[in-house]
Amino acid sequence: MDTFFAALQAILNGLLTGALYALIGMGMALIFGVMRIVNFAHGAFLMLGMYATYLLFQGTGINPYFGFLATGIILFLFGYGVYWALLRPIRGESDFKQILLTLGLGLIFTDGIQLLFGADYHQINIPLLSTNLHWGAQISLNAPWLISFGIALVLGVALYFLVMHTKLGRAARAIAQNRYAAPLMGINIHRVQAVSFGIGVAAAGVAGGLLLPVFYLYPGVGDQFTLKSFVMVVLGGMGSIQGAAVAGLVLGVVESLTSLYWGNQWALAVDFVIFLLVLSLRPSGMFGSQRV
Amino acid sequence: MRRAHVLIGVLGLVLSLLVPLVVRSDYTFQVLFRIFLFAALGLAWNLVGGYAGQLSLGHAAYFGAGAYGLALFSKAGMPAWPALLLAVLLAVLFAALIGGVSFRLRGPYFALATIAFAEVLRLMAKNLVGLTGGDVGVQVPALFTQAFNRSFYLASVVLAAVAFSITVWVSRSRFGYYLMAIREDEDTALSVGINAARCKLWALLISAALTALGGGLYGSLFLYIVPDQVVSITISNEIAIVAMLGGAGTLLGPLVGSVILETAAELFKNLFQEAHLLIYGVLLIVVVLFVPEGIVGTLTNRLRRRRAVVVPAVKAQAGSTASE
Repeated sequence: MDTFFAALQAILNGLLTGALYALIGMGMALIFGVMRIVNFAHGAFLMLGMYATYLLFQGTGINPYFGFLATGIILFLFGYGVYWALLRPIRGESDFKQILLTLGLGLIFTDGIQLLFGADYHQINIPLLSTNLHWGAQISLNAPWLISFGIALVLGVALYFLVMHTKLGRAARAIAQNRYAAPLMGINIHRVQAVSFGIGVAAAGVAGGLLLPVFYLYPGVGDQFTLKSFVMVVLGGMGSIQGAAVAGLVLGVVESLTSLYWGNQWALAVDFVIFLLVLSLRPSGMFGSQRV
Repeated sequence: MRRAHVLIGVLGLVLSLLVPLVVRSDYTFQVLFRIFLFAALGLAWNLVGGYAGQLSLGHAAYFGAGAYGLALFSKAGMPAWPALLLAVLLAVLFAALIGGVSFRLRGPYFALATIAFAEVLRLMAKNLVGLTGGDVGVQVPALFTQAFNRSFYLASVVLAAVAFSITVWVSRSRFGYYLMAIREDEDTALSVGINAARCKLWALLISAALTALGGGLYGSLFLYIVPDQVVSITISNEIAIVAMLGGAGTLLGPLVGSVILETAAELFKNLFQEAHLLIYGVLLIVVVLFVPEGIVGTLTNRLRRRRAVVVPAVKAQAGSTASE
């Protein structure tokens, strides 16, 4: 029975982490899956979101669970600016350039932050951290993770409606379908792409803000999330925003179970193995209609 | 043009081999070692990333295979040089596996798959503690025992010369033209009967072998390696940036790129310590936005254009322009 509860606990923890992954992955799905912008700086944007929330907390004492809203707005504006300044000039050219540009951007963010704030690890202390909710004798859930799960769920649903049921989302998907026909239908391509990029980046930043209470903060903290978000987009299927969300939850649970049975150090390796298997065996992902 | 390249190569080699007559300081030798090592790695990467146009961001896999192969085979009792040879074979084996899976993918998916493979290998090196020593690291035997720094410098020059010669051969051979055709348009290349899969794989195998030799040299110079040092994304990026900066798909590009990047990195290391990767990021963005064909690629294009104005009938060198 103990092994059953251990597994159940791991699955629940995985879902809690997975909701944040889902938010990160949905941001990437909007940027990469829908807009076809290869964003190698996604994790660095998440890291910036963490630092923004951290500075807000240190400076004004705003709780991260409110601060993430401000972080979202800051990151949106920042992403919007990055699109206009750097990505627009090379839009429509080879993926090569986007990869290298966003890779460079990520390096600048990470090392710029390191230059400004040092490589030290930071952690914030809020009273909530030690609160656990018990469910029976065996299962306990950490309050900060439950709160971030709830927020991520709401934001994820909002993001889904934004992409699937608003004019902006429809325009974004139209551009993805045909970038030559879309402007003929009166869509302002660059504005829609800039807004979408901003929203996708803000999703990563918000997730960073929500991770702040439960993670150590250091300049390289975002690195692992760039690749993970690509894993989610590919696993969920290109262009499928809900696919990325489900993939985020799946990834959370798989990592949690891997940690339980094989040890934490293999979790990331399992992510990549899944990624390579999906790419080589089922490149259209779980929900995708488009081929890779 | 091509004869000029060979002349530059031979002249450079002779000059580089004469350097030990003037240089005495170990520090200078180590900086020069890095420059020639990364020139060789950039040239090796260039076969796949430049001529064949396949953006590999996972060359740390082969670099690490070289370093770890050398360390582990010699730990198992082999002499250093045969161990290095086996390490190269190991890297080629990895390349066959990685290429077999990744080359079926195009565009960003190829790049992502190469990163994923390299990361899996890094995590294995970290986690299979019994085999690799994990994060504690493992000792690497010295390939040279006498005149340590000078010997390693000379070895890096020889490796760069070998990589350069192979690149000269590739850029003139039918194989090289096949690669460039694949880079320009893979579907068209397929339709005229080029076996794209086999060409790309051969390019990767050669590239991996050279990269593994570089990794072995690097590990042996340090005498001690850990996974995050030799199988890291940073190594993969650095190799790609060297080639891109100088000009992917050009003969001299990686050499020029390595001189600039390694010199800049050395200066910035003193200025910014840990944050010296900043310069890589800045260089990447500058290259993409302002010199997309790299320094050598842009310069030769400009020269060619100027010459084309004077002599309009100058023969067009199809395919020798830099990638996309």
